[in-house]
Amino acid sequence: MRISPKRDRKETLTAFLFLAPGFALFLLFLLGPMAYSFRISFYDWKIVNPAKSQWVGLANYAETLANPIFRRAVINTLAYAVVTVPAQIALGLAVAILLNQRIRGRAAFRVIYYLPVITSWVIVSLLFEYMFIGQAGLVNYVLRDVLGLISENIFWLADPILTFVPIHLLGIWKGVGWTAIICLAGLQAIPEHLQEAAEVDGAGVAARFFYITLPLLRPTLVFLVVVLTIGALNAYISNLLITNGGDPLDLTHFVLTLMYEATFGRLDFGAGAAISYMLTLFVFIISVVQIRLLRREMDI
Amino acid sequence: MKAFNKWIVIALVVALALLLGACRQAATPEPTSPPTAPPPTKAPEPTKAVEPPAEPVTITYWHTMSDPETAQLEKVVAAFEAANPGIKVETTRFAYDDFKSALLTGLAGGEAPDTARMDIVWAPEFAEQEALLQLDGVMPEFETLAEKVFPGPLATNYWKGHYYGLPQNTNTQVLLWNKSNFEAAGLAGPPETMEEFAQVACELSDPANEQYGYALGGTYFWAPAPVFYAMGGRIVDEAITTADGYINGPESVAAFSLLKDLYDKGCLSPNLLGGGIGTADGHATGKYAMITDGPWMVDIYKGAYPDFEVNFALVPKGPDGTTSSVVGGEDVVIFATSEQQEAAMKWASYLLSEEAQKMMAEVGVIPTRADLIGDPSLPEYFDIFLQQLQTAQARVPHPRWSDMDGAINNAFQRMLRGDQTVQEALDQAASEINQMLAQ
Repeated sequence: MRISPKRDRKETLTAFLFLAPGFALFLLFLLGPMAYSFRISFYDWKIVNPAKSQWVGLANYAETLANPIFRRAVINTLAYAVVTVPAQIALGLAVAILLNQRIRGRAAFRVIYYLPVITSWVIVSLLFEYMFIGQAGLVNYVLRDVLGLISENIFWLADPILTFVPIHLLGIWKGVGWTAIICLAGLQAIPEHLQEAAEVDGAGVAARFFYITLPLLRPTLVFLVVVLTIGALNAYISNLLITNGGDPLDLTHFVLTLMYEATFGRLDFGAGAAISYMLTLFVFIISVVQIRLLRREMDI
Repeated sequence: MKAFNKWIVIALVVALALLLGACRQAATPEPTSPPTAPPPTKAPEPTKAVEPPAEPVTITYWHTMSDPETAQLEKVVAAFEAANPGIKVETTRFAYDDFKSALLTGLAGGEAPDTARMDIVWAPEFAEQEALLQLDGVMPEFETLAEKVFPGPLATNYWKGHYYGLPQNTNTQVLLWNKSNFEAAGLAGPPETMEEFAQVACELSDPANEQYGYALGGTYFWAPAPVFYAMGGRIVDEAITTADGYINGPESVAAFSLLKDLYDKGCLSPNLLGGGIGTADGHATGKYAMITDGPWMVDIYKGAYPDFEVNFALVPKGPDGTTSSVVGGEDVVIFATSEQQEAAMKWASYLLSEEAQKMMAEVGVIPTRADLIGDPSLPEYFDIFLQQLQTAQARVPHPRWSDMDGAINNAFQRMLRGDQTVQEALDQAASEINQMLAQ
């Protein structure tokens, strides 16, 4: 039976009607502001009197790229992604495999591992900052007074490199639960008979993990790598709260904290828009490259 | 061609205006006098009894007050509304850290408040953005009020020849000294000169036990500012044209050298570099024998450490024998976009009235009216702050102040970390500030 073209058109029309409200919101609240801020990025933008804004061409982009603080922020952001994405996936996968066993209290463990995900970024950022305080922090107390590993207190938050210890740890701790749930879903989609067949063939635990679990989990892992990388490149709240936006010496910025400072600290809306457009472009390229690379491997 | 275009535009605008005007008149038959027409100067002003309060006007007021201040503000609003029937004031409170972005978002979206109380260092920045209403020559009571307030806080509203606000409240930092620390060390009282201060700070320090003679909240300029100004430090020249010879001049270098020296000797807590015990907690718990802070500490300690005895003293005198400190506080401003400018001006001038200033003083807000000095209704601890205010100095009233603050902050960090000498760090800050001034 064929659907008549007339009915087809009618259905298409209905579909568009259903899509229209959502698309209108998307246009109004996402595409519209995006286009507007793209325009801002080419101006010395005057927020109160937009009519007095001056066209500066690519100056906002050029000045940002030439700024050593921006370059340092890019390095910090990439380092955050390189450290936290693999760590979240490795730990999340390990937790998922454990939670996939038939252990007592499995549901309770799932809840416990997921709890950090639903806590507020602001609260846990402040908690981590508090734990890493130089003079009376919990971490220094454990390292110095309990374990005796250090002889003098470490001023974590005053050092442009050590500041990232709490920031990276927080990112990993907060992400593992979500990664584990996604991995768990992937694990449960792997047919049990494959594992059983391999076991009959004499494959050990390691062999089964590397030859059955991991290859079949690849689509899940590709998804995680892409999504977590996008998330890491957009990291912002923990850094803003723990470093107060770049302390010390503007050496600890992420790209987004710098964008915030340019926009709301210096009122340089043009530079802020330029930074966010460069980040968007970079995230887009990285995502496409990741999907291409990882998918090709998967097809083989 | 250009002129031709202009005429077309003008013609279109006029046509549109006529069209809209016609529509509006048809819809609401009202007298055509503009709503913001100045009151006739010669005609006798109608008394309130004769003219019934027309349509009530609502003006908005944004601020960043604390809990007790906000509660007190409600009483001020009630008193104002009682005296000015027909004007309602709607107040909205913000957290300090979110306030600037809230104001900017409001301005960008055409939803800015009519009036606001903002940090004195922001007034030139918003004035430069043309967001604020010029008050001199516009606000009827401006000249009278300007004569009554302290000149230092008033100056923070001045930008490019005009005033864009009035100082609503002021404050400064003084020395806080922990009596039990001093008594334990056999010291009679707080230091009176900077030399004595440096010596006492070291006597009261025991870094191995996290015990320090002096502590700063951070390296941002507000923290070292009392020591900086007392030592005779200057950031730029009077006319705000150059930092060379000022921020890196001998007095400024001496001020930062004193702090750097204290830090190196373990007499200044390392918390100022980030991630340490806060100054308020450290001082009350006896870890920091001396800190510099403002009048709000009385209320903070009342809540957090009710048994702690707060002791204030003037900032120790510098080499030239005078004490100094830094002026803080907030200005009341009217936004240029306000449609209720007349009512907003009434509200602003009421906030500076003796009545309102005294009401706010009850909760620790220092008035800006010089004629209230010595008023018996003011809290007793205001005396020391009012005395300190006589020589306290305002930071640079310039739209790029935040950036200048950043430059000095970074210089302070570099010298404390030993990356640069005090002179090198301040030379770099001077050249950075000069670049900001040149733009």
